[in-house]
Amino acid sequence: MIRFENVTKTYAGQSRAALDDVSLEVEKGEFVFLVGASGSGKSTFLRLVLREARPTHGKVYVAGKEINRLAGWKVPGLRRQIGTVFQDFRLLPNKTVTENVAFALQVIGKPRSHINKVVPETLELVGLEGKGNRMPDELSGGEQQRVAIARAFVNRPMILIADEPTGNLDPNTSVGIMKLLDRINRTGTTVIMATHDAGIVDQMRKRVIELSGGHIVRDQSRGVYGYQH
Amino acid sequence: MQLTYVFSELGNGLKRNVSMSIAVIVTIFVSLTLVGMGLLLNAQAQKAEEYWGSKLQITVFLCNQNSTTANCLNGEVTGPQKDEIEKVLETHPEVASWRLQSKQEAYQKWKSAYVSNDETEQRVYESIKASDMQESYWVQLKNPEKFMGIKSQVSGLEGVNTVRDLREVLKPIYFWMNVMKWGAIGIAGFLVVAAVLQVGNTIRLAAFARRREIGIMRLVGASSLYIQLPFLMESLVAAFIGVALAGGALVAFMYFVIYERLRPTSNIVAWIDWADGVWALGWIALIGLLLTLVPTLVMTRKYLKV
Repeated sequence: MIRFENVTKTYAGQSRAALDDVSLEVEKGEFVFLVGASGSGKSTFLRLVLREARPTHGKVYVAGKEINRLAGWKVPGLRRQIGTVFQDFRLLPNKTVTENVAFALQVIGKPRSHINKVVPETLELVGLEGKGNRMPDELSGGEQQRVAIARAFVNRPMILIADEPTGNLDPNTSVGIMKLLDRINRTGTTVIMATHDAGIVDQMRKRVIELSGGHIVRDQSRGVYGYQH
Repeated sequence: MQLTYVFSELGNGLKRNVSMSIAVIVTIFVSLTLVGMGLLLNAQAQKAEEYWGSKLQITVFLCNQNSTTANCLNGEVTGPQKDEIEKVLETHPEVASWRLQSKQEAYQKWKSAYVSNDETEQRVYESIKASDMQESYWVQLKNPEKFMGIKSQVSGLEGVNTVRDLREVLKPIYFWMNVMKWGAIGIAGFLVVAAVLQVGNTIRLAAFARRREIGIMRLVGASSLYIQLPFLMESLVAAFIGVALAGGALVAFMYFVIYERLRPTSNIVAWIDWADGVWALGWIALIGLLLTLVPTLVMTRKYLKV
């Protein structure tokens, strides 16, 4: 589903590479934790998958396509196959829960009948049934993150990218969000989650890729956050 | 493509930035009005040039008993002197045709031009008689640009008082027309720069105000066109209103100034007509469109790149 071949990314004006000769493959339907300190290259990795950035060297394949050779006008098509969730939720404060989720479909031109059908379904999936008319500021942090996940998942993407999705949440709420991501993963969606949350990584026992200084220093199939000796 | 979002964003955008939108519209309006005025003045200058050019002739005034110039020291022009002048006119290569205007003819023309409501003035006018007029040759030139040769040759002849060519009379009119034309175009140029920068600024502010929506749209895979469309539409609306106002100003100018005031009262030149007005309108519509679309496209490309 995602393949990196000797990928190096050096940002303009910086001598040190943010990612240095990274090669890896993520299969369809996998759940992968991306761990590492700040500045280790996690965000760069995610940006490369979304083609927010292009590699300096090497090739990035998503769904079988080498995306750095993708024409500019095809990038939106790529991003429609990838859902993205952030630490800070990024909801539109002047829209209701339903409108926030529907927005993702409206702006890619989905018909209204389709939107009216899948938005309530998705809200139910993330556990927000009956809260469609609330405004974001009337929701708890965990609920807001569920809205963001609903928005990322409403178009049924092949890949879900989550950048520190529990970073702003308390441990109990985080567990709920992880259960939700796990459920989404079980529908066949590949999930890549960058995190600092050791407790969650240890609990889930999924594949763990650890980055340090732009290198992969560990790739374990049922790993934990820290090193196991 | 579902355009609900585009139109609701268009409305929001115009509302969010009423003052900016008005500033853009006013700048476009004023600059385009000036551009249009410049174009109309240019058209008028060309019309006048054609009109006078086709009529361009030099007039050779002959001496009468009151003339004081060097060639008139012997008083009234004589028959042999006139023969001599006519011989030159007949043989000179620059001359297309010529005719003699008698004192009586000159007097008639003069009388119809000089009429006053003021009694004293009228009495002064009436004291002038046909014998006070000068005989003159009205010489049509082959090429209106070439009059120096015939002018210098004729003005040296005995019995010639003065040689006047219309071009010299019209020079100051042309000069001021040119000053006005280039003045209008110059000021319009500055305003056009201001309008372009203002459109660019507006887009930047609007993109900043919508950065959250735009960020999400990019992430969920909205196309560039879809993201840029509200901005383009906003600019187009501003351009449309600006062009309409400027067009209205030009139409008003054509109607009230050219057709109501100048055309009925003054026939000394050919005046611009509605065809010239429409031509100027077409230009300002095109310029207005470019003025807003180009900076919008540049700025949206810069700020809204997917």
